[in-house]
Amino acid sequence: MIVPFGHVLLLAGVLFLLGLFCAVARRNLIMMVLGVEIMLNAASIVFVAAALHWKQLEGQVFVLFILAVAATEVSVGLAMIVYAYRRTGSFDPGAYNLLQ
Amino acid sequence: MHTAWTQDATLLAAILATLLPFLAFVLIMVATRSWPRLSAGLSIAAVTVSLGCAVFLLEAHWNLEKPIQYTARWLVSGDINIPLGYLLDPTSLLMLTTVALISFLIQVYSLGYMAGDPGFSRYYAFLSLFVWAMMCLALAPNLFQLYIFWELVGLSSYFLIGFWYEKFSASQAGKKALVMTRVGDVSLLLGILLVLLHLGNLNILEIDSPEVAAHMSPNLLTLSALLIFGGIIGKSAQFPLLTWLPDAMEGPTPVSALLHSSTMVAAGVYLFERLFPFFLLSPVAMTVGLAIGAVSMLMAATMAMVSRDMKQILAYSTISQLGFMIMGLDAGSFFSGVFHLTTHAGFKALLFLCAGVFIHKYATNDIFELARQGGRSLKIPMTCTLIGAAALAGIPPLSGFFSKEAILAGLADLSNPVWLAAGLLGVFLTAYYAFRLIFILLFPRTAMALAGAAKVAISPKDRNPPWPPFEKGGNRPSSPFSYGATNTSPFPNGGTKNSPFSKGGPRGIFTVKSAEANAHGPGGPHSGHAAGQHRRVYWVMAWPLIILAGITVMLGFLQSPLETFLGHQYPAVALPEAAHIVWLPYLALILTIGGVGLAWAEFGRRDARQVGFVERIPVLYRLFTERWYLDHFYRLLVDRVIDRGIATLFFENDNKVIDGSIDGMCKGTVAMGRLLAFLNSAMIQYRLLATFAVLVLLSLYLFLKF
Repeated sequence: MIVPFGHVLLLAGVLFLLGLFCAVARRNLIMMVLGVEIMLNAASIVFVAAALHWKQLEGQVFVLFILAVAATEVSVGLAMIVYAYRRTGSFDPGAYNLLQ
Repeated sequence: MHTAWTQDATLLAAILATLLPFLAFVLIMVATRSWPRLSAGLSIAAVTVSLGCAVFLLEAHWNLEKPIQYTARWLVSGDINIPLGYLLDPTSLLMLTTVALISFLIQVYSLGYMAGDPGFSRYYAFLSLFVWAMMCLALAPNLFQLYIFWELVGLSSYFLIGFWYEKFSASQAGKKALVMTRVGDVSLLLGILLVLLHLGNLNILEIDSPEVAAHMSPNLLTLSALLIFGGIIGKSAQFPLLTWLPDAMEGPTPVSALLHSSTMVAAGVYLFERLFPFFLLSPVAMTVGLAIGAVSMLMAATMAMVSRDMKQILAYSTISQLGFMIMGLDAGSFFSGVFHLTTHAGFKALLFLCAGVFIHKYATNDIFELARQGGRSLKIPMTCTLIGAAALAGIPPLSGFFSKEAILAGLADLSNPVWLAAGLLGVFLTAYYAFRLIFILLFPRTAMALAGAAKVAISPKDRNPPWPPFEKGGNRPSSPFSYGATNTSPFPNGGTKNSPFSKGGPRGIFTVKSAEANAHGPGGPHSGHAAGQHRRVYWVMAWPLIILAGITVMLGFLQSPLETFLGHQYPAVALPEAAHIVWLPYLALILTIGGVGLAWAEFGRRDARQVGFVERIPVLYRLFTERWYLDHFYRLLVDRVIDRGIATLFFENDNKVIDGSIDGMCKGTVAMGRLLAFLNSAMIQYRLLATFAVLVLLSLYLFLKF
C-alpha cells in the first residue's frame, strides 16, 4: 500500500466536509444533490481503503452497492427537481414554502 | 320414510299438484319463452294435472275425520323447528280444488284472450307461478310456510298487474298494489312473530288448539290476532287498504278474474278460516273484524254504484263481498264464510271472464260504451253475465243466494242488530249495482246516458277518451293511445290525466284511475285474425264461461254436503248453531228484489234516463267516484308524514349527521395539518443542517461514552 491509510482517511474526511458544506449552504437544489453525492463518494473511498488495509473484499462489494444507490438517488432526485422547477420556476429551496 | 311416500297416493298427489306448476314456471322462463304455444301447453298441462290431483284428493278425503299432515324438517334453530309440508283438511282441500279449477278454466280462457300478445309466454309463466304459490299457501301446515307463499302470491300479483309494463298506469298500479299490501304484510309478520315468541312454533294445528290460551295472555292474544288481521286487511283489500284493488284492474282481465277476485284476494279470508279458532279466542279482534268487514262492504258497494268502468264495478263488488265473508266469519259462523268464499270465487270469476269477452271484442271498459256498441248481441257472455250478476245479487236458485243467506243467518245470531242491518243494507246495494250493470248493458240508450252523464258535470269524454274506431291494422290499437296519454302528461300526474278532479289533487301511485278504459290493449291482438279464427277465439273463451255458469247454478244445491264436509274442520270449537229465523230469507229476498226494482226503475224501464239516484246528488256522487277520498287521504299522508316528515328527517340525518361527521373528520385533519405547518421553516437546508448537527453530537456522545 503506497499511500498510508491515515492519508486516505484524511482525504475522505475533507471530501465529506466539502460535500456537507455544499449540501447545507448552497441555495441550489442541483448543488445540494451534488453535495450528497460527494459525501457518498467520501464514504466509498474509506470503504475501499479499509478493504485494502484489512485484506477483506466486503468493503469493495459495499462500494458497488453505494454506486447503485447513488445512481438511483440521482435519477430520482433530478426528476423531482425538474418537476419542482416546473411548478415553481426556481431552483431555490426557499421557494418551496407552500405548506407555510 | 323415504320408501313410504311413493306408496302414499295422497302425498304423491299433493306433491304433484303443487310441484308441477312450479316446474312449468321454471321451464317456461328458462327454456320456452320464444315458443308461446309450447309455453301455454306446458302451463295448461301442469294445471290440468294439478286439477286432477286436487279433485282426487277432495274425493279421497271426502269423509276426512282428522287433518292429515305431512312435514319435513326444513329449518332447525335451537328450540325452533320450522317444517315445510302439507296439511290436508276440509278447508284446505276445498280451497285447493277451487284454485285449481278456476286456474285451469282461466288458463284455457287466456288462450283466446291473450292470443297474439308479445308477452304470451311470460303471461303463462306468471300464471303458473301464481298457481304454485297459491296451492302451497292453501296446503301450508304452518304459518311460516303460509307467509312465504303469501308473499310469493303477492309478487306474482305484482307481475301480473304490471303485465303491460310499457303502460305507465299499469306499472304504477302494480307498484301501488305491492306497496299497499306490504303494509298489511308487515303487520302479519309481526303477528306471526308474536305467536312464535310465545308458542315456540307456528304449526297451524297447534295454534288452532285451545292450548294457545294457556301460552298467551288474553291481551297478547288480542294483539296478535289484530296484527294478523292487519295482513288479511291488506291482502283482501279491506277498509283502510282497499284502494289498490280497483287499480289492479290494469292487468289483463283473466288475471283480474283469477287473482283479484276469486283466489288471491281470497287468501286473506282463507287465512282467517285457517286460524278461525284462534280468532274466536279474542272477542275484541272479532268485533274489530266485523266492523272492518261491514265498513268495507258498504263503502265498496257505494263505489260500485257510480262507476262506469265494468271491471272496476266488479272490483268494488269483490271488496264488498270479501267484507261480507269476513263479517260472516267474524260473526262466528265458519261454514258461511267458507261457503261464500267458494261460491263467490265461482260467480266472480264468471263475471270477470264475461267482462273480458266484452272488453276483448269492443276494446273499451265503459259500460255505456259497451252497451252502445251492442254488447247484448254476444249471447253467451250476456247470459253468463246475467247469471253471475243474479248470483252476486242473491237471486234464489243460484249459489250466491245460499251463501248469502248463511252469512245473514250468522249475523242474525249476534246480539247487536247493527251488523244484521248492515248486512241487509249490503244485500240491497249489491242487488242494485249488479242489476244497474245488467240493465245498462241490456238496454242501451246512448243519447240519454250521455245527456245524463253530462248533467253531473262529468262527461264521458272526460272519463273515457273516445276510443278510436275499431282498428283493422293488426297492431295493438291501444298503443298509440296509451303512449299518447302517458307522454303528454307530466310524470307524477300520468295516471290522473283523465280525472276531472286531478288538478291540485293527489298525484302519483295513489291515483291510478279508471283502469283499462283509458288505454290498454287486449282489444288489439284479435283484430288481425281471420273470421274463422275469430270464432275459434270466441269459443275458447266461451267454454270456461259456460262451465263456470254451470257451477254457479249448481253450487248452491251442494250446501248440505259441503256443510257436513266442512263440519269435520273444527270439531273442538263449539260452533253456535245458527238460529233459523224464518223471516230472514224472505226479508233478504225482498231487499234484493227492491234493489233490482230500483235498478230497473232507473236503468231498465223504457223511458228510464239511466241516471242513478246517487248521480243526482253531486256531493255524494263525487264522494263515491273519488272512493271516499281515500286516495286523497293517502296522498296527503304520504306527502305530509312520509315525504315531509320521515323522509326529511332521514335526509337531514344523512346531510347533517353522516355527511357532517365525515366532513368534520376531514376538516379536523386539515386543521391539525395547519397547526403543524407552523413548525415548518420552509427551508430544507435548515433541517439538513439540524440533522447533521444531531448526528455529530450523537456520535461524539457515543464516542466519549465507550
